[in-house]
Amino acid sequence: MNRTLCTCGVVLVMSMALIGMPGCSKKSVQSGGDSQSTQGMAKGGGADSSKSGVGSFPDTGVQSGGGGLRGLDKNPSEERVGSGTMLAKVDPSSSAERQMDEVRAEQAASAAAGLRDVLFGYDSWTISEDGRQALSRDAEWMKSNPSALVKVEGHCDERGTAAYNLVLGEKRAKAARNYLVELGVGANRLSVVSYGKERPSCNEHAESCYQQNRRGHLAVKTGK
Amino acid sequence: MTQVKLISAWFGGALLLAGVVGILESGAADVFLEATRPDFQKISLAVAGIHNAGGPDWLGGRIEEVLKKDVQRSMVFDLVDLPSLGIQTPDVGNGTGVGSKAVFKQAAEKGVSVLVWGKAGLKEADKNADVNMEGFVYDSGSDEVVGGKRYAGSPSVVRQMAHRFADELVFRYTGEPGIARTKIAYVAEQGGARELFVMDYDGYDARQLTADGFLNLMPQWSPDRRFLIFTAYRNRNTQDIDMIELATGKRWTVISLGGLNITPALSPDGNFLAFASSHEGNSEVYRLDTRTKAIQRLTVNPSGDLSPSWSPNGRELVFVSDRGGGPQLFLMGSDGLNVRRLTFEGDYNAAPVWSPRGNWIAYVCRTHKEYKLCVISPDGQKRMQLTTGPGVDDSPSWSPDGRHLVFSSTADGKSHIYMIDADGKDIERLTFQGTHNSAPSWSPAS
Repeated sequence: MNRTLCTCGVVLVMSMALIGMPGCSKKSVQSGGDSQSTQGMAKGGGADSSKSGVGSFPDTGVQSGGGGLRGLDKNPSEERVGSGTMLAKVDPSSSAERQMDEVRAEQAASAAAGLRDVLFGYDSWTISEDGRQALSRDAEWMKSNPSALVKVEGHCDERGTAAYNLVLGEKRAKAARNYLVELGVGANRLSVVSYGKERPSCNEHAESCYQQNRRGHLAVKTGK
Repeated sequence: MTQVKLISAWFGGALLLAGVVGILESGAADVFLEATRPDFQKISLAVAGIHNAGGPDWLGGRIEEVLKKDVQRSMVFDLVDLPSLGIQTPDVGNGTGVGSKAVFKQAAEKGVSVLVWGKAGLKEADKNADVNMEGFVYDSGSDEVVGGKRYAGSPSVVRQMAHRFADELVFRYTGEPGIARTKIAYVAEQGGARELFVMDYDGYDARQLTADGFLNLMPQWSPDRRFLIFTAYRNRNTQDIDMIELATGKRWTVISLGGLNITPALSPDGNFLAFASSHEGNSEVYRLDTRTKAIQRLTVNPSGDLSPSWSPNGRELVFVSDRGGGPQLFLMGSDGLNVRRLTFEGDYNAAPVWSPRGNWIAYVCRTHKEYKLCVISPDGQKRMQLTTGPGVDDSPSWSPDGRHLVFSSTADGKSHIYMIDADGKDIERLTFQGTHNSAPSWSPAS
């Protein structure tokens, strides 16, 4: 029995917006999926970096050793002590508020659309018969709402490591995406993202809760 | 809850006899293993009080308490309680007085190798004035006060004074910088989002670094401690790898290839970034040359490859692959060649981290349906389970001295951060606030 780790469900986030796929304000991002050589991505920083997908890098090697320790002294001179590693204060940005508003809007819109979740078994990214039925209804909705863009989110329960659950979540999201494509939904209307075990819908340490988190979740995106 | 002998402090009894400096790193593996020897002994150290010298009542006691815990966590010293030996701890000033000789003699006779004491007070009567702390060290081997330290700083940094003094003690007796001034970066729930935080190695003084309102995950330190590198969800849909400069809060994206971009790890010299990305289809391990920006794909496999962690010399990587079904640990050269499987026990082994000593790899192993911490030697010959019991343990990260691990666990219900000795002994819980603290990453020593 290969039940394991996370259990990723899949969430379909429907984007009502008409914008193209990834794209965000600052750096353009290639959508994943197709093969493309990464050799020769050597580009300097600055404008080129957004094309290659690689930003600028500071020198992070260790310059000095000793850790600022001066050793014991029979006639010690006074050393000024600070708070250790200097830490900047967090900007009271409006980003957090905005993101949370957008998450709530997505959730409300997907609930209104009546999209179905997709369930996955523990340690499995195979779509079950129930999952196929749910996705069939979702595909119908997408066909009757041809301007909607759908984000397929993979979610996991808390078991297993955070890192591996992100990979599993992606496998599950892609399995659901592929099935929707099989049903005739245009691939260009679908994107995938994995949230691993980082956005559980239920926080109890119980099988019933794990079940819910393994379940996919549908959300409709509203703005942007 | 945990037992298991194995490592521990890597240098052996020679240190104790010499009572001095100079444990060299070369051949660290061999030296390290001596710690499994039952005759390994720590240096006995006693704290004869940090006395109040004008200031709030709590001042000396606070510093003394922090110092004692640091001394214990160093695992270099065996902390001796003087009153239980029948030794009073009067203020012996700078240790030159007649009365102090008697105290030294008494302590030495009871087997105390190092006696530490000090005083702390406010520079002025004003409670916002600077705190002054002095610490002294008597060494029974040489029968003299070998030296001391004088610190000044605001009342908000008295813990840092104790940490600094503790690190000086470790430095004096091992030649290493100590870990009392190290930090732990981690992820904490904040209003439904997951943000980055940094706290002192003992769990105090947590500070928030990001406020995105969504997900920032799995921070790792740069070798120079100036930056964190982590996975960020820009606009919730795209997963990038970002860096943030701690001192300024300046933040930017370093990897935005599309797909899943996770588990970044800078090489010990800072010249390469290993990470996992699915931008070519499935998750693979890549290596970026941070100077030329050239990206090299290290794994070629239809399964998931992720979680690279560098050997201390930067020549090898341990990583996770589910090419055989469940996730297992594999090793490869930093050029992606010479891949070989490391773990064979159990059907789930993940989240590997190579010890800074080089001789152990800590990871999450699944046993009896629970996710626990294990360590394995890079040759696969020795394997130990460090934790037992219920709860999901995740994200182990080594202290820079290789004597401790920090990790997250749901053993107490919600996910919190814990420290454990590398031999699986003492577990100390570090976080108590909030509903979710995870993905701890221990900073390099300063």
